[in-house]
Amino acid sequence: MLVRQIILALIGLSAGVAVAGGLFAFIIELGVIADFADRTHTGEKILLYEDCTALGGIIGNLVYIFHIRIPFGNVLLLPFGLLVGIFVGCWAMALAEILNVFPIFIRRLKVTRYITAFVLSMALGRGLGALLFFVKGW
Amino acid sequence: MAANQETLYIKGDRDVEVTKTDITLGDIVSMECSNKEVIPKLKAMKILKIPDNGRQRFVISILKIIACIHEKYPNMDVQNLGETDIIITYENQKTKGMASHLIKIGFVSVLTFVGAAFSIMAFNNDVSIVKLFSKIYKFMTGAAPQGWSILEVSYSVGITIGILLFFNHFGKKKFTVDPTPLEVQMRTYENEIQTTLVENASRRGEELDVGTSNYIGTHRS
Repeated sequence: MLVRQIILALIGLSAGVAVAGGLFAFIIELGVIADFADRTHTGEKILLYEDCTALGGIIGNLVYIFHIRIPFGNVLLLPFGLLVGIFVGCWAMALAEILNVFPIFIRRLKVTRYITAFVLSMALGRGLGALLFFVKGW
Repeated sequence: MAANQETLYIKGDRDVEVTKTDITLGDIVSMECSNKEVIPKLKAMKILKIPDNGRQRFVISILKIIACIHEKYPNMDVQNLGETDIIITYENQKTKGMASHLIKIGFVSVLTFVGAAFSIMAFNNDVSIVKLFSKIYKFMTGAAPQGWSILEVSYSVGITIGILLFFNHFGKKKFTVDPTPLEVQMRTYENEIQTTLVENASRRGEELDVGTSNYIGTHRS
């Protein structure tokens, strides 16, 4: 019985390390956080941002796995949703950027002007899509 | 100008930030010459006069700088050891107030914290990790787990170890002397931005180069 528990612990431990490595490499390599730091001209604080990312990962996982109750949950929901939205929005766009979606479309369709409109309509489309998804409960 | 045939070595960074409108050679590049007397003169040599209307950016070709040096010292042999295109960013007020800076830092900190927390939760949710764990538990022990088991605990420990190993530091304490992944990413990002700035300016013909007749002030923003 004890042996099985130890094997289970090893499985869990390795799974955790692998998932953490993969997921955080994904976040960092997409450059979302570097982008935030650059946009706000706070590049000297990236070590702090790394700490925040690390803490967020650790605590978020604990909250999810062990169903930890968070005090003042009702009040925190609004800022939480807003921040998550910003983060995921940046993430989705960074993903599209990494995969060279924009350069390819712009080259193929020979769009040289009004790229801002292109970007804006994409952002609005995503917002509308998310809203529809939640409202309709798809 | 005692001896005429001298070699001047110049080396410039790719990205220079200035806060004054009169830019001298010494602001842009560092120099070395066997004739020490010319260096202070060269350092004070005016290269660019920026019209004072807010933040702006110029890309200057090293050829333009060499041309400026040759104007004054025609026989000087100039060797460039640094970048070939230099980005000059002018910002008239560097310090925009500590408060807004702190707010930004706080905002990004909370944003990254919440974002990372959400990402791991979304991942766990995506792969239905709780269900998966109970299946593994049943497979290994033959019994369904009551509540959470050793798997969940060790997984959480593993996540913590993995994150700290990946980021290579916590707080001020670094585990090895390597730069952290975000530091590397930040530099990559900056390099890409700088390359884009230089290429954009050169494609639009806005780069300050020899043979082009652009003056400061006709600059589109």
